[in-house]
Amino acid sequence: MTSYFVRRFLLIVPTFIGVTVLVFVLTRLVPGGPIERMLQEAAMAGGDFAEATSGYDGLGGSALSDDQIAELEAYYGFDKPVLVSYVEWLGKVLVLDLGTSTRYNDPVWDTIKERFPISIFYGVATLILTYGVCIPLGIVKAIRHKTAFDNVSSALVFFGYAIPNYVVGIGLLALFAAHLEWFPLGGFVSDDFYALSGFGKVVDVLWHATLPLLAYTAGSFAVMTMLMKNSLMDNLAAEYVRTAIAKGMNFRRAVFNHALRNSLIPIATSFGSNISLILTGSFLIEKIFNIDGFGLLGFESLVERDYPVVMGILVISALLFLIGNILSDICVALVDPRVRFGSGESAQ
Amino acid sequence: MKADQPRDQTLGWLALNPLTVKKWQRFRSIKRGYYSAIILAVALVASLGAELLVNSRALIVYYEGTVAFPTYGDVIPGRAFGLDYDYETDYRELKRRFAEQDEGDWVLMPPVAYDALENDLRADAYPPYPPSWSSGHYLGTDSTGRDVLARLVYGFRIAFGFAFLLLACNYLLGIALGSAMGFWGGAFDLLFQRVIEVFNMVPLLYVIMIVASIVVPTFWTLVGIMVIFNWTQMTWYMRTSTYREKSREYVLAARALGASNSRMIATHILPNAISVIVTFIPFSIATGIALLTALDYLGFGLPPPTPSWGEMLAEGTSHLESPWIVASVVVGMVLVLLMVNYIGEAVREAFDPKKFTYYE
Repeated sequence: MTSYFVRRFLLIVPTFIGVTVLVFVLTRLVPGGPIERMLQEAAMAGGDFAEATSGYDGLGGSALSDDQIAELEAYYGFDKPVLVSYVEWLGKVLVLDLGTSTRYNDPVWDTIKERFPISIFYGVATLILTYGVCIPLGIVKAIRHKTAFDNVSSALVFFGYAIPNYVVGIGLLALFAAHLEWFPLGGFVSDDFYALSGFGKVVDVLWHATLPLLAYTAGSFAVMTMLMKNSLMDNLAAEYVRTAIAKGMNFRRAVFNHALRNSLIPIATSFGSNISLILTGSFLIEKIFNIDGFGLLGFESLVERDYPVVMGILVISALLFLIGNILSDICVALVDPRVRFGSGESAQ
Repeated sequence: MKADQPRDQTLGWLALNPLTVKKWQRFRSIKRGYYSAIILAVALVASLGAELLVNSRALIVYYEGTVAFPTYGDVIPGRAFGLDYDYETDYRELKRRFAEQDEGDWVLMPPVAYDALENDLRADAYPPYPPSWSSGHYLGTDSTGRDVLARLVYGFRIAFGFAFLLLACNYLLGIALGSAMGFWGGAFDLLFQRVIEVFNMVPLLYVIMIVASIVVPTFWTLVGIMVIFNWTQMTWYMRTSTYREKSREYVLAARALGASNSRMIATHILPNAISVIVTFIPFSIATGIALLTALDYLGFGLPPPTPSWGEMLAEGTSHLESPWIVASVVVGMVLVLLMVNYIGEAVREAFDPKKFTYYE
């Protein structure tokens, strides 16, 4: 088992290289790379982003001389073949040097690090909300299958499943922030945050966080609730629960002592993916609510073509995703003693 | 199956096997899925002829004894209808004019008399205009004076066209590659397993945005980019189900009878493996729409001024003081996605009715 996980951790390396090579090569090989874009944008200085993305019509009237372009290319490492500059880039990443942001002129790592607290706040809050709501709700729905409560909550769950969380977010923003003005239009805290008292600060953060958190939760809530419900119902229908009840155990104990423990296993399989959810959040929700987190940084650096930051974020999210997957496996192995990874598994 | 099994009337001509008939009947019995399917099908067919319903060109113009149908075909200059300009006729203006002249000429406009791309600018007001029955902007206009309803309808057509195309590409690639992986296994399977693993680890939306920020996508390149990062799921399902089917006895029997590899795959394994895939179709459509809309919302999707729901969402959120924009799009998307998911739920139920034992 240990050797299995060691192998899994070692497998991160080729997969990580695969992911980054893929994106690295894509950013280099397609016509109109970052430099051309930069020149084009410099040429139409003042033109807004919508115009800049709407069409690429050559470099007419470029503001830079050929020498300067060559210098720029050397600066970004575009003067070398793709694989050479990839290896150079990877070498820097290995010593934890993600390069320098072209927008802020700060080290990429510092820029990214600044955003972590906000993303972690939303990630952890979403996590607590999701599990705190989904597990009890799933249990109640399974026990009260086909009752009015089950049907009503199923409609809600179905809605959450069918509608992408960003549409929920936009709907909430339009209704509760813009129309009813119950909640702020966005941001993480108010402008006068530092003037507020300790309690006032907490209220302010929560007040800003309500709508984004609802939108975040709407996405994961449906899948998790149904997973919990279906897996508990599968277990309730299993022979061992019937045996327990036949032997005179009361229903409540049969559910909580026997069926529930087994039905938490599928929930554990997705637990690891939370690590990337916690840190990377969602571009869409952060953009909608203008939350200065990890996702919005990624979006902004893409809009500004700050490729060192773009690649830095990719590195971090890919790594988190890979580690999250392994964490899921570890969770499963922890909660389910029947699972023995590594012996004759078919690389599923 | 008995010969007197009640066959379904509407699909009788397809000579379906009894199992499929049973699935169809089960699908029909799930009312909300069935009605959603009918409504969406009607809406999709209607959207194919959206030019007849939502257009700035008239349906019929009756002028001095001749009848013209301007909807499809070349631009008809204003001079053709006795106006004093050579560019395209403004049919709404023409209608007003004919009504004033009262000489028996008339213009029949579509129910929504605005095009998705046309800016309706007025001298006395700035867009966005609120919904108004008299101006014909039933859902108002956006900030550049484009009719919201018109953009919604054309955006619907584009979103579904995109989703169906994406589905077709993903499924074709997935079925071909997946069944090859499952059938041959070995080094080929291992190689593509690793490739899929890499693609699955890519943060999908982010990477599509990175690529889209560089290539400036058109409709077709966007489909291409999405397929590059989206084919893995279907391939994986197909691989697993081919793998499973391959070890069944009927495949062994076919092999013993001397069937070639391609025959075994095409006539024996595929029909059985695909039945699982069918249940994913509605959900794939919903995912396709959601993905395209998200990209458009973020500004990395279809190039402007293509009518798209994502662009309208962005427009609506930046003009929250004009709530009709965001309300129209959100309500439209919620309705459509709910219906698509109702269909998906019903299809899944029809293919695999789940019966739970439960305690009263």
